[in-house]
Amino acid sequence: MDYGAMDVDEVGPRVVIRESFPDRADFVLENVDLAFANSLRRTMLAEVPTMAIDLVEVDENTSVLADEFIAHRLGLIPLNSKQIEDVLYTRDCDCDQYCENCSVTLTMHAKCTGDEIMRVYARDLVVAEPRPNEWVGNPVITDEAGLGAVICKLRKGQQVRMKCIAKKGIAKEHAKWAPTSAIGFEYDPNNKLRHLDYWYEINPIAEWPVDEKNASWESEGGIQQNGEPFDYNAVPSRFFFDLESIGNLEPDAVVQQGIKVMQQKLAAVLQELAGDENRNGDAGGDGFGGQEPDGMQGGEYGVDQGYTTPYVNPGATSQWGGGATPYGATPYGQSGWNQ
Amino acid sequence: MNAPDRFDTFLLADGEKKVTEEADTRIPSASTFTFNKEDHTLGNLLRSHLLKSPHVRYSGYRIPHPLTSTFELRIQTDGTLTPRAALQQTCRELVNDLSILSREFTKEWELRKMVGDGARGDEKDGKSKGPGR
Repeated sequence: MDYGAMDVDEVGPRVVIRESFPDRADFVLENVDLAFANSLRRTMLAEVPTMAIDLVEVDENTSVLADEFIAHRLGLIPLNSKQIEDVLYTRDCDCDQYCENCSVTLTMHAKCTGDEIMRVYARDLVVAEPRPNEWVGNPVITDEAGLGAVICKLRKGQQVRMKCIAKKGIAKEHAKWAPTSAIGFEYDPNNKLRHLDYWYEINPIAEWPVDEKNASWESEGGIQQNGEPFDYNAVPSRFFFDLESIGNLEPDAVVQQGIKVMQQKLAAVLQELAGDENRNGDAGGDGFGGQEPDGMQGGEYGVDQGYTTPYVNPGATSQWGGGATPYGATPYGQSGWNQ
Repeated sequence: MNAPDRFDTFLLADGEKKVTEEADTRIPSASTFTFNKEDHTLGNLLRSHLLKSPHVRYSGYRIPHPLTSTFELRIQTDGTLTPRAALQQTCRELVNDLSILSREFTKEWELRKMVGDGARGDEKDGKSKGPGR
């Protein structure tokens, strides 16, 4: 169990944030391997929980658009998902269908009375008040006029009246829950590792422009054909991320949540492996001898220096909490980042 | 019609376990772990990190069928620790790495906030005056 010490990971991952905007983060991840960086990318793309409208009750719709058409558009409207930990997954909640602990209700009621054609915008969604926290469920509005996305247009006399239930979910289930519109990902921009074999007419360097920003960041600089011998043992260790948020979560929150989701995945595996051991121990016949030789592993949990990740079950599953767990009480946010 | 449910890719079915181990009957210190409701995200991560252990002789993963959300991770060790122990060790190290990453990112982000959004780039910025998009 000592091999960790000789690892390059001794120092652990390093991050340099190059640019930060309200909706974008450009950072460089160093001292990790390709699999790690890619897992982080995949997790942020598909498994970070957000809020989105998932259920629409149509009371009245005399617009030219079909009910399901509007329902689909409503689903795609980004909703603020700040501190989504306060929201339960509907499937894990005690309630029958949905409640204020696991959903946010938005109502849309618009009628065109003038002669002009009227537009219904995301800002016209009214958020009902008992909700998990003060941000969750607010439609994301970033345009200067403060309107948000257009939902539909109404002619004189037409109206829409709908009740929308927003729930927590992940983009693996439906893309409307995606927290990012795109994540740029690149390593080895100068192709020193020769993972790429460029097709070219005359000169690959002229015909395949590099991303200058990333290429010049690599301190070794040089382009591959500068005479130095090829290091066939080299592996990529520096990764350029350019994360663009949709607005429901701030870019740093997307990263932090992505990290947390990965930790929860690993924790679920550890949990399961540990659970199996106990069972085997019992089967071994020494009754409540309980802590088997592997008990030491239990020890190691605690020994970890100041390490506080909650080994919670990933919200998705219910192997040991079951639906009834009021795990809003889980000390989730203890990793120290406040968003 | 017969499409699998969307949540089948990440929600364990009733009674389904996250991981099961099946020891190899012919090779000592070798096991195949089957992970349910997981994909390349975890499979490749564990595979590559396991290979960094000097006690792990082999680790590889495969997804038996693209329509099933499961993968198999095969581990063979040199006998000083069981494949299961190696896997646990790896998971713990990764969780730890991720905490470090989380701390680092928080630190850097706070730093960036203090500098203010107006001042972009940092020490290396002189070198890379790329278009901010």
